[in-house]
Amino acid sequence: MANVTVAERRPPDTTGTRRGLSLWQNMHRHFWGYVFIAPWVVLYIVFGLYPLVLSFYLTFFDYSFVAPESRAFVGVGNWLKGILDPLFWKSLFNIVYNQAIFIVLKNGLGLLTAVLVFRATWGGRIFRTIYFLPVLTSTMVLMIVGGYLASPTGPVQSMLVNAGITDGPVFWTFNRWLPMPILALINTWKWFGISFVILLAGLYSISPDLYDAASIDGAGEWASFRYITLPQLRPQLFFLLVVDIINGLQMFTEVFALFDLYGGADNQALTPVLYLYAQAFDRSNMGYASTLGLLLAILIGVITVLQFRFVSAGSD
Amino acid sequence: MSEISAKPVLTQPRRRIPWSTIIIYALLLIGAIVVLYPFIYMLMNSVKPGREILHQPTSLPSEITFSGYTGVFERLNMGLLFRNSLILAISITVLNTLLSSLAAYAIAKIPFPGRNFIFSFMLATMMIPGILFLIPTYVLMFNLGWVGQYHALIVPAAVTVFNIFLLRQFMVTIPNEVVEAGRLDGANELTIFLRIIMPLARPALATVAILNFMASWNDFFGPLLYLNTPDKWTVQLGLLQFQSSVPGENAQQIWAATTLVTLPLVLIFFLLQDQFMKAFANVTFK
Repeated sequence: MANVTVAERRPPDTTGTRRGLSLWQNMHRHFWGYVFIAPWVVLYIVFGLYPLVLSFYLTFFDYSFVAPESRAFVGVGNWLKGILDPLFWKSLFNIVYNQAIFIVLKNGLGLLTAVLVFRATWGGRIFRTIYFLPVLTSTMVLMIVGGYLASPTGPVQSMLVNAGITDGPVFWTFNRWLPMPILALINTWKWFGISFVILLAGLYSISPDLYDAASIDGAGEWASFRYITLPQLRPQLFFLLVVDIINGLQMFTEVFALFDLYGGADNQALTPVLYLYAQAFDRSNMGYASTLGLLLAILIGVITVLQFRFVSAGSD
Repeated sequence: MSEISAKPVLTQPRRRIPWSTIIIYALLLIGAIVVLYPFIYMLMNSVKPGREILHQPTSLPSEITFSGYTGVFERLNMGLLFRNSLILAISITVLNTLLSSLAAYAIAKIPFPGRNFIFSFMLATMMIPGILFLIPTYVLMFNLGWVGQYHALIVPAAVTVFNIFLLRQFMVTIPNEVVEAGRLDGANELTIFLRIIMPLARPALATVAILNFMASWNDFFGPLLYLNTPDKWTVQLGLLQFQSSVPGENAQQIWAATTLVTLPLVLIFFLLQDQFMKAFANVTFK
């Protein structure tokens, strides 16, 4: 996987093998190395490895942290309950529905704006600054502003009605099918700037010789985009896809801010993490919430591994 | 590019702007308007009388009022929320930037036994989704008695793999001779780190500091879980409370609040935007 190649590509190490350093000096340096790395090691054991083990352990119990004495062993009960829970499946469906739209829009717009700014001869810096601004807003601010702009009496819907696109106010938060696409649109506004910046940096790193050679061969705009730009941006697009899926499937604040703990009367905006939060802090089912977290993490892990497999198979 | 080179040079006394350029700038402009509209709307509503916000959502304000800004300080104790958010953001930024750069220096420049293993292990942990830690960490914090206290958020964020990785990638490019020269002068590793590495790594340090500050300032989930008393609330939690409690007549207050919460990051961004861009450029798995 990628992390292995990063380690392997390290330039040959010459710092440790100098003849001028005695054994004592080397040991002294190693000592400092361990001291510098120690904070991370200690913190990762306490707040990384220990919680991982605890998480797995908790899945076998009916456990509430407000009444720890009533803890009961339930075996694989939580796992079975999670796999058979229709609300968990509904939350998974909702988040996939949301992310399928979001990831395409966010990276599509990021790519389009990156190509446009790359082609612009002046003013590129101004547009670069503007397009990055939404990334700075917090999710809470985003949901207040976006929720208001899209509200039935808000400015966007007034414009849509005036333009004759909709007949009247749409109460989209109560609709079964509208919340997820609209949240995807709002999130696209906030996040496309990340794709834009990463892809723009990628465009600048493509050698101009490739385009020159293509135009000598008579390739048009579309052909050079399709056969040079897109393949050359593959590492960036792959990175964005992997990170988007890991982060996107864990969406929480957006739905928490606009809906109740179960994502509305129809669970139309219930996401897996919102459901997990409701189980943990509304129902006090820590063991079950832990199981849901592990199930989601396993799903994300499988998708991530498949992506790496797919890409390494494609590049051979 | 190809169109220009294909045109005969002499037949054109005045250069016409090619269609492709017009299309590019038209699209860029539309994009800029869509991106800026919510910001402009936010600013405009923060000085618009509350009644007009409700009844004429698309119109310009008939008068400019700053009652939103004064109201938000009375109603929401904005001073306290800003203070709490700053305590958290500054503590995490200082601690994390220092500890992450120490670890990055060790991995980049000190060849201690086990170094490669630790670095590979770190990179592998970046792939683990954060959701896995949520419940068990909460149980751990609850048992430690840390729920309701700032250090429940500060300590786990004191050093993070992504920042170590970012700093290490930069420090590797510092020539070994620079470090060796310091060692031959008899300086110990801590002195070399503080006197030689820190000044040379300034762009990477600035980048990591900004990322830390942004993540902490905008964090909602962490404070929601751990800061359960109003005297410890951050600006983001204040906004949540506000969103559900503000009466319609004072709608301008919520817009003043969102403007104030967004402002610090926008200011930092304008001051340091080139560093900021570097944080996101060149990140791939390559």
